[in-house]
Amino acid sequence: MKRRGRGIACMWYPIGFTVAANPSAAVVKMNEDGTALVLTGTVETGQGSLAVLGQIAADALGIATDDVYVVSADTDTTPMDTGAIASRTTYVTGNAIRLAADNVKSILFEVAAQVLRVAANQLEARDRTIQVKGFPRCSVPIGEVCKRAQTTLGQPLISSASWNPPTVALDPESGQGKPFSTYVSATQIAEVEVDDETGEVEVLRIAAAHDCGTPINPMLVEGQIEGGISMGIGFALQEEMLFDGAGRQINPNLTNYIVPTALDMPEIDVDIVQNYDPTGPFGAKGVGEPSLVPTAPAILNAIHDAVGVRITSLPATAEKVLAAIKAKRTDERRQIPAP
Amino acid sequence: MQCRKWRAYTVVSNPVAEGKPVVERERLAIEEALRGLDESAPLPAAVPSTRLPVEPLVPVPGQQIRAVGQRAVRPDSRNHGLGQTRYIADFTLPGMLHAKIKRAGVASARIKRIDTSAAEAMPGVISVVVGCEVPVNSFGPTFQDQPVLADQLVRHAGDGVAGVAAVTEQIAAEALEKIIVDYEPLPAVFDPLEAMREDAPKVHPPKSNIYHSMVVRRGDVEKGFAQSDHIVQGRFTSQMVEHVSIEPHAAIADWDANGRLTVWATIGRLTLARADLARTLQLPMNHIRLIGTIVGGNFGGKNEISQEPALALLSKKAGRPVKGILTRGEEFIASTARHPFIMDYKTGVTKDGRILARTARLVLDGGAYCSWSETTLSKSCILAAGPYKIDNVRSEAIAVYTNKTMTGAMRGFGAPQTCFAYESHMDDIATALGIDPLEFRLRNAFEEGSQTPTGQVLHSVAVKQTLLKAAERFGWEIQS
Repeated sequence: MKRRGRGIACMWYPIGFTVAANPSAAVVKMNEDGTALVLTGTVETGQGSLAVLGQIAADALGIATDDVYVVSADTDTTPMDTGAIASRTTYVTGNAIRLAADNVKSILFEVAAQVLRVAANQLEARDRTIQVKGFPRCSVPIGEVCKRAQTTLGQPLISSASWNPPTVALDPESGQGKPFSTYVSATQIAEVEVDDETGEVEVLRIAAAHDCGTPINPMLVEGQIEGGISMGIGFALQEEMLFDGAGRQINPNLTNYIVPTALDMPEIDVDIVQNYDPTGPFGAKGVGEPSLVPTAPAILNAIHDAVGVRITSLPATAEKVLAAIKAKRTDERRQIPAP
Repeated sequence: MQCRKWRAYTVVSNPVAEGKPVVERERLAIEEALRGLDESAPLPAAVPSTRLPVEPLVPVPGQQIRAVGQRAVRPDSRNHGLGQTRYIADFTLPGMLHAKIKRAGVASARIKRIDTSAAEAMPGVISVVVGCEVPVNSFGPTFQDQPVLADQLVRHAGDGVAGVAAVTEQIAAEALEKIIVDYEPLPAVFDPLEAMREDAPKVHPPKSNIYHSMVVRRGDVEKGFAQSDHIVQGRFTSQMVEHVSIEPHAAIADWDANGRLTVWATIGRLTLARADLARTLQLPMNHIRLIGTIVGGNFGGKNEISQEPALALLSKKAGRPVKGILTRGEEFIASTARHPFIMDYKTGVTKDGRILARTARLVLDGGAYCSWSETTLSKSCILAAGPYKIDNVRSEAIAVYTNKTMTGAMRGFGAPQTCFAYESHMDDIATALGIDPLEFRLRNAFEEGSQTPTGQVLHSVAVKQTLLKAAERFGWEIQS
């Protein structure tokens, strides 16, 4: 018989390295037509970080996402970056890019101030123009400012900046300190169906509520969460590297090491909770790793809710779940007094 | 061909000039791009990132552009969709050779002799490299305990012992069969709890198998347990898993006649990787150019060098570029994996569901080399108590060497393992107390200004919001 159950799991996760410095540097430069280039040493590993970093630069410069091109991942041409690791790219590299863009913006303001005949601190960058705060009609197109900066004033629009999340080393005896600059949290709730005759578990749906600070690109945040859940399902139910007695792997292939496919995916309902971290670029933190962290316990708690067995070792394979159900029945039978 | 290709880009990036409706422009662009498919296109100098028009971003007068918060299309999406993204497997350089690495196949042994002469004599084999030819044969993000190619001790079955570069992949694979390695078998240890014993075989003799440990403690756990109405205990274990990125580890090394080394690689952490290349190859950093290509999945598995120094030396010997791509089997046996954990939890609670004390003891199976174990250990130890306000808490973690595939960075750095334990444990406690699991979590969850087990005061905390939002989306009703 198929039995349904629900399970909840909550988690917290830090952004960046534990105590150790993990800086990012960035270069932002603008062309004479008001488009911009960002140079970053981070790597696009499929998560969409270049899109997010471009959006951060565009927003800081008051131009469109499509006006920014991000050059990445070349030790000869791009600046130092600690890399695509520890869910740090949006937060750390994003902050470096925001700071470099702010530097460029201050040159833009200096130049535009002369054209508009106002003080530089009265200006803002928005809608592809430099305009007087509160007087959008009193503006000059950003391309014109860029061109003027270079050809009239001889001051090309280029700047670099770097950022490193502030931490405090841990006391070796007690572990007290500030190991990370910021943390995110998330809750996932799973509904599963367990076949109590075969032990097979099917994940039907997952509601996932994640805090990532400001979602710079909500679509990519959802993508990370959906991808993380698929990885979490494999961790919860299927995947395990097995070794023989001599320490050699016995399933180093995708025939016997089973990863979830599109067919194993449940219905996923993602909620990005409203939050703002003043230490992140535009309030953003990160989401890459946390996306999978609560998935397995939510599923395992749902199995417990469905059939009353607590699986304490991952993965909860059908064999393991069935053995636990059988053991539970035997226990229950023992408790029935003899007639 | 080059012209056509360029035209495809032009069509896409200057849509206004075309003066056609958006749909028509895109159709033309796709057709043009498909016609322009060109296998012999030159290797890009850096990650290509096509600029694509994103329609909602055309500025409307008086309407503010805000890039942040937009569901903007990724700059690389059209290349992915059209199958035009070039991964290392798609790249060819003139004269390029193909490399394969011979894996030990035994978990613990002393290498007595490596004979590569028969392999070197094979037609089509251009260069062969063994561990003793690597200038500094060790690397690692925390401890430099991992050889590029094992030259004395084999510590797990996936250790590389020799590399071959040949004109085809098949010849390189056949040459591996002709390399003779004499091993003297050594005792091995596979279970982390066994490996912790004094008399266990040492993976890195004479060093202890326990290679890293950490404690985080706050308050007085014994007092907290004494004040508790209930004490719940549990042991949880997790397994070893692979990242299973669709694209395996891949690299091309080109050591030119001027002594400058260019490496295209799938590595996600270029700065560290260049430092490791400089160290292992004893090259000044300005002689190394490392280019990160578009990567088909990392998940933590590609955060350090692996075969790159061996490919560089094969290229130096051959005077030709050398490409190496791990097989799926090698991805499992020779790349890092997720740490298996053994986790013992004990929690003291009051009748009304307040957590007074919690201890967690974590044992990490580190496999044969440290890799990113230190980070995994510290993150899991700091996060072990969960996102809950607990005044008395102690977590201890230790990482242990075993003669198995090395475990390293993988999405979550120990957090998925501990979260599995603390959240299963939370449900067990809720059941023992007869409190709804959501309600029990809400009573203990971090709030703005809560202190973590390391004494850090938290800001921008949204734990309760995530609990309530997930419950709302799911339709969870609290059962009392």
